[in-house]
Amino acid sequence: MPWVTILILIPLVTSLVLALVPARERRMGRGIALAGSLLALAASIVVLALFDRDLAVLQQVDHLDWIPTVGVSWDVGVDGISIWLVLLTTVIFTLGTVAACQRLPQQRGTAFLSLIMLAEAGLLGLFTAGDLILFYVFWEFMLIPFALLIWNWGGSDRRSAGLIFVAYTMVGSLLMLVAIVATGIIAMDHTGQLSFLMRDLTGVPYGEATATLLLAGFLLAFAIKIPLWPFHGWLPRVYSQAPIVVTILLAAVMSKAGVYGLLRVGVPLFPEGVGNLIIPVAILALVGIIYGSLLAWRAPTMRLLVGYSSVAHLGFIVLGIIVIDRMAAQGAVLQMVNHGIVAAAAFVVVMIIARGTGTEDIDRLGGLAKGAPRLAVAFLFVTMAALALPGSNAFVGEFFILGGVFDQYAWMAVIAMLGVIYAAVYMLRMYQTTMNGPPRGVQDQGRAAEMTGRDAIILVPLILMMVWIALWPGSLVTPTRASTDLAVAPAQIALERPVDQIGVLPDRAAAVPAAAVGSRAPERQP
Amino acid sequence: MATALAWIVLVVPLISGVVLAGWPKEPPHAVTRVLGVGSILVAFILSAVVFAGLVGNAADDRSFVSSAFEWISIGGVKVDLAILVDPLSVMMMLIITGVGFLIHLYSVEYMEHDPDYRRFFACMNLFVFAMLLLVLAANFFFLIVGWAFVGLASYLLIGFWYQRPAAVAAAKKAFVINVIGDVGLVLGAFLILRTLGTLDYGEAFARAPEVGAQSGTALAICLLLFVGAAAKSAQVPLHTWLPDAMEGPTPVSALIHAATMVTAGVYLIVRCHAFFDISWLAGDIVAFVGAITLLLAATVALQQVDIKRVLAWSTVSQVGYMVMAVGLGAYASGMFMLMAHAFYKAALFLAAGIIIHALGDEQSLDRMGGLRKPLRVAFFGMAAGCLAIAGIPGFAGFFAKDDVLSSALTYGGFGVFCWVVGVVGAFLTALYMFRLLFRAFFGPEPAGGYNPRPHPSRWWMAVPVVILGILSIVGGWLQVPFGWRELDTWLAPVLGTGAEIVEPTHGAEVITIIVSVVAALGGIALAWWLFGADPDRRLRLARVAAGPRRVMDDAWEFDRAYDDLFVEPGRDVADVMATKVEPAGPQGLITGTVAVMRGAARVVSASQSGMVRAYAFWMVLGISLAGIIIALVVAGAS
Repeated sequence: MPWVTILILIPLVTSLVLALVPARERRMGRGIALAGSLLALAASIVVLALFDRDLAVLQQVDHLDWIPTVGVSWDVGVDGISIWLVLLTTVIFTLGTVAACQRLPQQRGTAFLSLIMLAEAGLLGLFTAGDLILFYVFWEFMLIPFALLIWNWGGSDRRSAGLIFVAYTMVGSLLMLVAIVATGIIAMDHTGQLSFLMRDLTGVPYGEATATLLLAGFLLAFAIKIPLWPFHGWLPRVYSQAPIVVTILLAAVMSKAGVYGLLRVGVPLFPEGVGNLIIPVAILALVGIIYGSLLAWRAPTMRLLVGYSSVAHLGFIVLGIIVIDRMAAQGAVLQMVNHGIVAAAAFVVVMIIARGTGTEDIDRLGGLAKGAPRLAVAFLFVTMAALALPGSNAFVGEFFILGGVFDQYAWMAVIAMLGVIYAAVYMLRMYQTTMNGPPRGVQDQGRAAEMTGRDAIILVPLILMMVWIALWPGSLVTPTRASTDLAVAPAQIALERPVDQIGVLPDRAAAVPAAAVGSRAPERQP
Repeated sequence: MATALAWIVLVVPLISGVVLAGWPKEPPHAVTRVLGVGSILVAFILSAVVFAGLVGNAADDRSFVSSAFEWISIGGVKVDLAILVDPLSVMMMLIITGVGFLIHLYSVEYMEHDPDYRRFFACMNLFVFAMLLLVLAANFFFLIVGWAFVGLASYLLIGFWYQRPAAVAAAKKAFVINVIGDVGLVLGAFLILRTLGTLDYGEAFARAPEVGAQSGTALAICLLLFVGAAAKSAQVPLHTWLPDAMEGPTPVSALIHAATMVTAGVYLIVRCHAFFDISWLAGDIVAFVGAITLLLAATVALQQVDIKRVLAWSTVSQVGYMVMAVGLGAYASGMFMLMAHAFYKAALFLAAGIIIHALGDEQSLDRMGGLRKPLRVAFFGMAAGCLAIAGIPGFAGFFAKDDVLSSALTYGGFGVFCWVVGVVGAFLTALYMFRLLFRAFFGPEPAGGYNPRPHPSRWWMAVPVVILGILSIVGGWLQVPFGWRELDTWLAPVLGTGAEIVEPTHGAEVITIIVSVVAALGGIALAWWLFGADPDRRLRLARVAAGPRRVMDDAWEFDRAYDDLFVEPGRDVADVMATKVEPAGPQGLITGTVAVMRGAARVVSASQSGMVRAYAFWMVLGISLAGIIIALVVAGAS
């Protein structure tokens, strides 16, 4: 069975069905959306069950020539870098759908759900695409549902936020499309055919200058999506104007698109170009870590605080990828999942508090712990994970990212540590100001903000996942190892790193794809 | 066998803490007591069994590593969830669970009227678990995890009364300073990982000499580890959180902020002695910091009016002695003092707690006096503790402090400086502790008397104070000058017998005993003259040296300096970022981009059909052409 294709089709079909459901049939709409998201979750678990952790290359590949003359194909599959992101997507979207169903917008509720499912299909397609054109199609495709969700159901400034989201991200993506087309054509000299399959394009010697240029073309798109400082300007507007459920989805899942692209596409396809970009990108990431932390510290609302903290956290992930180190890259892959879970949980907490108190302004709240002790415990948990307390799931990722960074460029790790300290300052500011001290801005000691059973359905699974990863991170990291090693190995070779740092030998890296994929074995020139 | 029991010791407090935390409603007090206190008693008994087991083994067969499972394997580095049971960790286990049990027992009565009874014991159990993890960890990763968990427990318990703004602020301060320490520790671990390729204690310590004796790397590793140690153990300049931590309930101060957690830095240095052995400069820096801390904190303790703050500064000072000792390579002496201090400082804090409890949360020495008769148990505990900490012969502090000081004297050179500082510190210690004793327990009652009358405590609180008071006496008899050195022998398998280990000579011991006893008696005599014989004398002398005393009262202005140097400028920079840079830079980038796109759209739409499909077609075509052109140019050029 082509499970990966089925996985993408389930939310797509659900979305289309929901679009046909009349707006007044809210009950039916809820049922269909929940069923669709659960089915997608089930399909992703099947994909996980079939996953072979020892295989480095894309597996469970569904290949279908689409427009053969220009080398475009439907080519989807999973590898160690994407497998957990696929699971993250289906899990978070299931929880997001539950949250959306609990408080469905009064206006066109079924359309709201339909667009959420469409966004899920887009993200699943992005994380499984094995073809650059397909990657690009999904990259743009997922913009539409998200933009419409913001445009129609967002806050008071939703129109401008929606427009900015589309326009700004599209500018970056256009350059990526240029780079994709250029890559395919330049590679033709080497592979003898026009192909946009990533496995065909791996190992093409572009020469340093060309590789740098092509990578830079991709990088702008990634940088805006991540967002890397100073391209993060859309984030505060979008995160604060989007419906909170959409903010959860954006922060938890969509924010991984950029870093995923960097590790899955940028670094392995253009290893010769990486060397020139390590220092500039790392500096932007470091600035983002400190800048994001400072703005989070001074943020007026909880949403902005968590949003800016995401800029800082993603800076750590970018750093982990760009220094080209096995340990740091594996830490970065783990941290993508961790950040998805923790950011989702943090925004769920914001959602619960805002609903109970009617405000998201940090300084207008206080002392909620007395009336909402259960929320206080859950919030404390999330706070500790968000500031990456050693022993939390986020710390594992951060520790090994920075450990790897320290190995390659010790000064970067030292600077990044400032972000670790600031994280404690701003996260405790949010927790203590709202939860501790004398009650403020609430009646009845904040009992209205207490976590209900319906909230627990969303928040408790997230917390359980955090506990799971904290207790046994090896269970997540081991399946990612082979693919991550393979992704960074060409760049490590290009950078002439010591052999003992390289996880996969070059000849194996070149030989495995042909053997494992079985179809369309690339004809490599000697 | 030993390791299996140690695993149980580790998880029992965790399980009881989790059960208490997860109990649906506030459980009956009896349940909380059984779970909260019983679990620590079980842990103590099992620790004693582990200890007995090790005693039964030969000296070179007392170190066991037990790995639960491969926790993570990443980038060629493997980390196991593993514990190390050896003489050092077992000694710490006994102190943590033993003193911990007594303080838990005491809390049963002390916290009785608090509505959050269960939360208190859940956090205390979490702390014991975290502290055990810290000392039992067999690699740097889990050391850091335990290190941070004790910080979390400390945060939760300092801020236990979370509606008090002062408690909330103190909790945050403690947490953030401890994160600074964590960063040092993590960077130290990174440097070890980078140099030796492992985070495992066994391998790292065995291969420590490969780092290079007296090399810059060895120095850097030691100093980074020491940043962590200094933050946790409240050493200058990272000491400012500990006095504020007194906002927590008194049993918390006794357990976490006196007996166990704040000594974790000393444990860390002893545990990592293999690195300190190969860098004498690092050791001397550590000792210097300890010496400065012990002196500075002692001067501040002289001025405090809050009874708990006197004890807090005294703790900073006493830990300074330990840090000085281990910095000079007198590891066993430092551990000896750690143990003795756990006994007498816990006795002092718990006795102070009886006073605070009896007087209805009164902590000011100005509102105390003449408590000798109504609070006999507290008086016993406080007197035993004071005699011990002052170093009166026969009491635990005497043996421990003299061990530290005579080791310093034996070290020679820089050690002599440390010895002088230590002797001055001993004089000050006797002075400030007996000031507390005389002002609280002697003299007349405060004006207006006590209302209500102070009530003696029940046995829950009395028994731990009495036991700790007795331990403040007999606890020191492990190492007696010219007699026996039991602790040195016990720790020898861990510490080795290298040339770096300092053991005091007899001459040094004789000189130290005479000088330090004279200093202590001098301090007590001065305290009696100032505060005991005539309670009004201190009021008459209030204006003497007012300036220096104000500086000491403000704890040498560290807090204000940090505010001026770090907090305020940081806030200003952040505000400039938020109000100036962000709107102009990143937001301006967006506004500009969107404006350009809108303009372009307007120009295009004037000349085009306006159909969406046509736009899309032209866009894709244009981009593809651009890509092809770039590709051809690049291909032509290369």
